[in-house]
Amino acid sequence: MKALFFFLVISFVLWPVSKALAAKQIIVVTNMEKPPPMKKHEIRNLFMGGASNVFEPVVLKPGEEARHVFNTLVVGLTEARIQSYWAQMRFSGRHRAPVEVESTEQMLQYLLEHKGAVGYLPADVTIPEQLTVLFSSRQQG
Amino acid sequence: MVKVFKFGAVFICLSIATDTMAQESDRFALSGFARVIGGVLDTSDASFEGYDNSIRFSEKSLFALQGDYRLTDTWSASAQLLLHSDSNRDSGIEWAYLTYKPTDNLKLLVGKLRTPYLKYSDVIDVGFAYPWLSAPQQLYGSYLFFSNFEGAIARYQLSIDEVYIDVEGYYGGFNTDFENSGETFNLSVDALYGGVVEVNYGGWQLRAATLSTEEVDADVEGIHQLVAGLNQAGFSDIADFFALDGSADTFIMGVSYDSLDWFFSAERMKVTSDIAVLAGIDNYYATIGTYHNDFQFLVTFAHSKQTLNLLENAIPIGINPQLDALSFGVDELYRSLPSDDLDSVTFTTRWNYSTDIAFKAEVTLLDGKSGKSSYFEIENSAFNRKATLYQVGMEWVF
Repeated sequence: MKALFFFLVISFVLWPVSKALAAKQIIVVTNMEKPPPMKKHEIRNLFMGGASNVFEPVVLKPGEEARHVFNTLVVGLTEARIQSYWAQMRFSGRHRAPVEVESTEQMLQYLLEHKGAVGYLPADVTIPEQLTVLFSSRQQG
Repeated sequence: MVKVFKFGAVFICLSIATDTMAQESDRFALSGFARVIGGVLDTSDASFEGYDNSIRFSEKSLFALQGDYRLTDTWSASAQLLLHSDSNRDSGIEWAYLTYKPTDNLKLLVGKLRTPYLKYSDVIDVGFAYPWLSAPQQLYGSYLFFSNFEGAIARYQLSIDEVYIDVEGYYGGFNTDFENSGETFNLSVDALYGGVVEVNYGGWQLRAATLSTEEVDADVEGIHQLVAGLNQAGFSDIADFFALDGSADTFIMGVSYDSLDWFFSAERMKVTSDIAVLAGIDNYYATIGTYHNDFQFLVTFAHSKQTLNLLENAIPIGINPQLDALSFGVDELYRSLPSDDLDSVTFTTRWNYSTDIAFKAEVTLLDGKSGKSSYFEIENSAFNRKATLYQVGMEWVF
């Protein structure tokens, strides 16, 4: 009982303050002229291994701020949970994690070179005209 | 100890090799996982999951390599080599299967596979994938867990508005050795099949699964002689009770929730069977935890209760010594059938050191029911079925 009490105290005293990212925003873009509209839950599903015959998700490497914002605002999971999720998916033969790029510049390059690729970028990045914005965290829906 | 050293040497060599090998080409991807776990039980009266009152690293430590090769746009081949330091398990090819993906929604796997009936049963060796150091024994314990099978799995994804549904069906069979409470069994199953439905909505997941096994045949030393003796003496009902062949049906319900701050997970499993050791199982666990930066803190309550099928020992005593011996043997065997009533409370801390390495520490308070085996291997009959298991470990994926 003492151990349970200790656990509860630790849990609530250290309750995380993970909302610090609220001020940061991202956009989700694709290399398609007239893509079908996507809602937030559809983007989340796509980036968590959901089936799509149109889109190919692309992510930034862990540690990049835009990835953190995307995980927080769109996926709704911590980086650690996402990593353990992909370990489960990969080693059970279900899904493979999306293609990973190193930086915003590489993300732009990958998106421009791959029709149907979908990736996220900081909201203040200037988007080349070949890319179309699918979703903005400023207008969540 | 020699086995531990050999395992360590292989582990180090493979770790070095994978630094250069863990890469992907267009067609081939090599990945893997490892876990190093040490544990100790605070009693000398019994052991639990291979742990006793001396610190052991050999029970659950392992190293695995997985290769995935894309043959065509729709076909791929995968194999997983597992090296294990547990003396009760064999190292070798754990998975080997072909994948056929005719559409984006449908996937078929054929070959040597792992049974997907619990949330983590097909990745039970990949400790990085789940929050505990040891998944709750009451559901994920080795004897309940028909881990591998040879056959096929079909997976289909669909969605209804914001609800995403994964459906799986599987069919196959297997022949393997498994261990429970110190007894080793050979188990063959001619037909193993089931289904899984996962309904996902936001961070919620509802999960239902079934596992049915038909023509199960367990070969336990000593049982065959008794069964033959019973049949010879005309007690076929009692012989059938101990024959360890028949069928078993398992039903699992699960619910989980994941968010940025906290998570919850629970599963309940019921098994009905005409096989004495599998009958009347009704087990569950519930886990709740929080995230604090790179740390997770969780507490798990798990419960198991097994109600064995009743045996009516109709062998008359006092007629002749042979029948007396047979009757005594039947009573003894019935009493010795493993029956696992156990409550446990587990406190786990997980430190996500990096995106591919996690460290965990876990304390499990075990409270078994007197007179039951309760997953313990009992050394001292006066043991009160209460003990504490301490474990620390490292999980790695690459």
